[in-house]
Amino acid sequence: MIIEDVPCPFCGCLCDDITLTIKNNRIVGVENCCVLGNAKYLSKQRLKHPIMRKEGKWVEVSFDEAIEETARILSGATRPLLYGWSGTYNEAQVTAVHLAEELGALIDSTTSVCHNPSILAIQEVGHPGCTLGQVKNRADLVIYWGCNPIEAHPRHLSRYTTYADGYFFENTVSDRKVVVVDVRESETAKIADEFIQVKPGGDYLILSALRAMVRGRGDVVPATVAGVKKEQLQRVVDLCQKARYGAVFFGLGVSMTRGKYKNIRNAIELVSELNRKTKFTISAMRGHYNVYGFNEVLTWMAGYPFAVDFSRGIAFYNPGETTVIDVLARKEPDACLVVASDPGAHFPKTCIEHMAAIPTIQIDPCVNPTTALCQVQIPVAITGIEVAGTAYRMDGVPIRMKKVVETEFPTDKQILDRICERVRELNGNG
Amino acid sequence: MGEILLKNAWVIDPISGINGEMMDIAMDGGRIVEYVSDKADVIDAEGFLTLPGGIDSHTHTSGTKVNFGRYMSPEDMRAGRTPKKGAMHVTSGYSVPTTYGNSYKYSALGYTSLVEGAMAPLEARHTHEEFAFTPLQDSFANVLFDGNWGMLGAIEEGDIKRAAAIIAWTISAVKGFAVKLTNPGGTEAWGFGKNVSCINQTMPRFDITPTEIIRSAIEANELLHLPHSVHLHCNNLGTPGNYTCTLGTFDIVPDLNDTRQTLYATHVQFHSYGGSGWSDFCSKSEPIAQKVNMRPQIVIDMGQVMFGRTTTMTADGPMEFNLYRLHHDKWSNHDVELETGSGIIPVNYRKKNLVNSIMWAIGLELALLVENPWQCLLATDNPNGAPFVKYPEVIALLMSKKYRDAEFATVHQDTGKRVPLPAIDRELTWHDIAVMTRAGQARALGITGVGKGYLLPGAEADIAVYPIRVDDIDPAQQYEEVIKGFSQTEYTIKRGRVVSRRGDALVHGENTTFWVKPNVPSEYDMTHDERFKEHFERYYSIRMSNYPVQEEYLHRNYCIRTETDLSTTHD
Amino acid sequence: MTYTLNSGRVIPQGAFVEHKISQGYREATSVLFIHPMDLFQLGIESGDKVRVTSAAGSVVLRTEETETLREGCVFIALGPYANAITGGYSHGTGMPDYKAIPVEIEPTDDPVMTVWDLMEEIGGLRYDN
Repeated sequence: MIIEDVPCPFCGCLCDDITLTIKNNRIVGVENCCVLGNAKYLSKQRLKHPIMRKEGKWVEVSFDEAIEETARILSGATRPLLYGWSGTYNEAQVTAVHLAEELGALIDSTTSVCHNPSILAIQEVGHPGCTLGQVKNRADLVIYWGCNPIEAHPRHLSRYTTYADGYFFENTVSDRKVVVVDVRESETAKIADEFIQVKPGGDYLILSALRAMVRGRGDVVPATVAGVKKEQLQRVVDLCQKARYGAVFFGLGVSMTRGKYKNIRNAIELVSELNRKTKFTISAMRGHYNVYGFNEVLTWMAGYPFAVDFSRGIAFYNPGETTVIDVLARKEPDACLVVASDPGAHFPKTCIEHMAAIPTIQIDPCVNPTTALCQVQIPVAITGIEVAGTAYRMDGVPIRMKKVVETEFPTDKQILDRICERVRELNGNG
Repeated sequence: MGEILLKNAWVIDPISGINGEMMDIAMDGGRIVEYVSDKADVIDAEGFLTLPGGIDSHTHTSGTKVNFGRYMSPEDMRAGRTPKKGAMHVTSGYSVPTTYGNSYKYSALGYTSLVEGAMAPLEARHTHEEFAFTPLQDSFANVLFDGNWGMLGAIEEGDIKRAAAIIAWTISAVKGFAVKLTNPGGTEAWGFGKNVSCINQTMPRFDITPTEIIRSAIEANELLHLPHSVHLHCNNLGTPGNYTCTLGTFDIVPDLNDTRQTLYATHVQFHSYGGSGWSDFCSKSEPIAQKVNMRPQIVIDMGQVMFGRTTTMTADGPMEFNLYRLHHDKWSNHDVELETGSGIIPVNYRKKNLVNSIMWAIGLELALLVENPWQCLLATDNPNGAPFVKYPEVIALLMSKKYRDAEFATVHQDTGKRVPLPAIDRELTWHDIAVMTRAGQARALGITGVGKGYLLPGAEADIAVYPIRVDDIDPAQQYEEVIKGFSQTEYTIKRGRVVSRRGDALVHGENTTFWVKPNVPSEYDMTHDERFKEHFERYYSIRMSNYPVQEEYLHRNYCIRTETDLSTTHD
Repeated sequence: MTYTLNSGRVIPQGAFVEHKISQGYREATSVLFIHPMDLFQLGIESGDKVRVTSAAGSVVLRTEETETLREGCVFIALGPYANAITGGYSHGTGMPDYKAIPVEIEPTDDPVMTVWDLMEEIGGLRYDN
């Protein structure tokens, strides 16, 4: 059986043109997909049963027992932390928010350690953005800043930018210019018309210099800025001002370095400034295929895109205090539920040390480093392959993920619904 | 949804011709019925003012840009926090509340149906997800067509039927309710940072003018027999001197429909400005209202501005950018490929600001100068002019000259020279208010046929009971009582259940999404149109098969099917 | 001398995301990319092991030379090895310093740990079934 137009559950590009060949309820062929998505579709490794640590050993348990234990741990905790969410679908995330509200828990997502600073910057100065098709059809200048799409979002260039068919282009490759800003000559940098190799931590300075030059105050810019010659910056400014439509995409190279949200704020303000001269947009290269979906869900349900603390009875948001890294560094949580993410592989050591010290539960199809930190792990169906549901592309376009094979495994939503129901009973709100 | 008998209700139901009668209203199965058995639950309305459930015919509560308004504004979220209480979930937000916040607050004001003013088709799934979490109101979505390449291309070719076919395909694919044009031509031009100046300027990309877009969309809308008319946000919103553009727009509207208007012009306050710049900015509500009085084919809503902080959000991307250049506060923009744009900025309307004071006056003037209340509906373009929680104050201002004068004394001192408001003595009646907040909306939206906006047997049992004894209050004098009375219902009944009582939501669910599906002959079905498909696959960033909003997003819904005049045999 | 360490996504790391316990993931995420001149200064060759130490901790990695980096800058794929030397302090932003971490580098003969070893070192329990 051939299934066409399948949205890929890997990265924020959410390519929805994948063709899958299914034989005996298995994916045996993948077309149109990048190497990352391909590996996920063809992956065979997974956890087969719920597991629980008993007397220092892992044992297999039933779903009922695992859910009961999870509900018991969470309802008994005074400072529960619910974390993850970027690898599952909106409908499950909604249940997660209701669970957090019921528990008075702190709920945060992987956003906290990827584009959290981008959101903080947007909350300061806004966000001139667009859908990706707008870039595809119109952008004659694409700037990749602190990101490396060829390795992290492999089809971004062919679907949405440099190599994509665009309405206003005769020849999409030659009619579009690409600028890459990075500390290293990444794979993407190699195809750039201009590669700005900035010294680590120099993004803010480069952005300030560009802003000054766009405003006609190039005289204040020194001959070299963060290792970059002024002549090159002038060439880039000229490219920007000559463009009919410039599209900036930025990644963790800007959001994770010192300065953090101030770097992004500077980039957004450069784009706002350029809009006085021509058309410019700026977009974050979101990582997980549904990291943006969680931001949307938590926003319409609680008012904020991440890091919401329900412990006061209202939705309280104070990044730096209610963000997962800080709360773990302070060793506050006394129980933790991890769903659809892998902090074991992605958090600083000091933070996961605390997760290992408290009862932590993971809901995830695979064994991963976080497994080692847990007391309980519940395997589930894989969203976008075994479960249908909503995901939001990096530009906010919602797409329905498909179910292409049957599974015996329960969905994230079913497990979370049962935990939520049991917690309500244990709390006496049944 | 068992049997309920609402006794001793002092009813105003303009559609049914009831203007202040003490009645008992029987409900069963979510509808109003002739009789109920003696097993019915009895609710005593104690002679309080009882109206059909409120309908907001133009509000922004759900979808991409509304949620981005929340996302970018933690300061607004903090300004309206409520804890979990009974059936109510935690809420956040003042001018852009969370979905539960919107739903509970609207319900406390007696509103049972909401029209999302602007849904980008590509992102429709998002709007429907939020509708699902707006549990106490039925939802309707205006679908943005102002920059729709398919429709504009068909208009450019002079093929109205093809334009209608594209509208039909899109609106049913995205489970929308009505055709919305926001700054037609302008949002597409904004794709390259441009705009159109008024209705007769040719667009950069298509060889047509806004006039042609508006006329053609109206004709297409009527060919499809959609319940609502074209819903228009005129060109040039917010610019001094734009009233001529608005008058010109009203002039090109034919009268094509016997049962309702042919054009719904929204938030007309923002389109009634005189002057050549901000220094001589003034009200032109009088010529606008006169034009509406002469043209029964037009219905407008006020777009009232009230003082204080709020968030502006519209599909009109270029307008928001201009506003950003005035305010220098944060600015978000979100252009949607092949379809439309959008922008968001926070604003603070201040009494000390002359322009803001004039804007406040213009909205009220429109409502007072348009003679027929069925032609000027009460709305603030929530949250653009003000958050909807200000509706009770707007009502009180319209009912009391004394209140208007008291307020007028506190606005910018030069306002009097720029607006006619102080000279207007009209005070609206309870009946006028009932028209302008529900009956007029139901008729203008074309949804009386599905049981909205009235209280006779057969209607949906959507009812608002306000703690107001009409005979005991003189609204012209006791405007504080009017505000208080409309701020919190005694009972809000949605589909035959009490959903809100004295400000608290009691239950969840039963909300329904209404959408339209024109019955299009196969030769006009775009699903099988090779040219349409090829264009779609080439220029959209998602596949055509992934575009339609799936049934899963419509857990409860009501599909309004229409017969169309597209069949070739009609030629 | 002090080097500046950056981390980021690379294809081999991404392709093993669903197999983080595998040899492939371990190899993809425990490589330190470094400029040949820096290797020369350290007196080692590409492929030799180094101990990388930051304020937050230390970890053994295998080197791989590349001229795509400036001298003094080193790079590692994101993952548990990078995190072993990432601190939890976020400057009040919620975001730890995953990029531009000052590190010391010295040659070593110590082994590169497995992912399970790293997790057990901080109190976890491997699942080998």
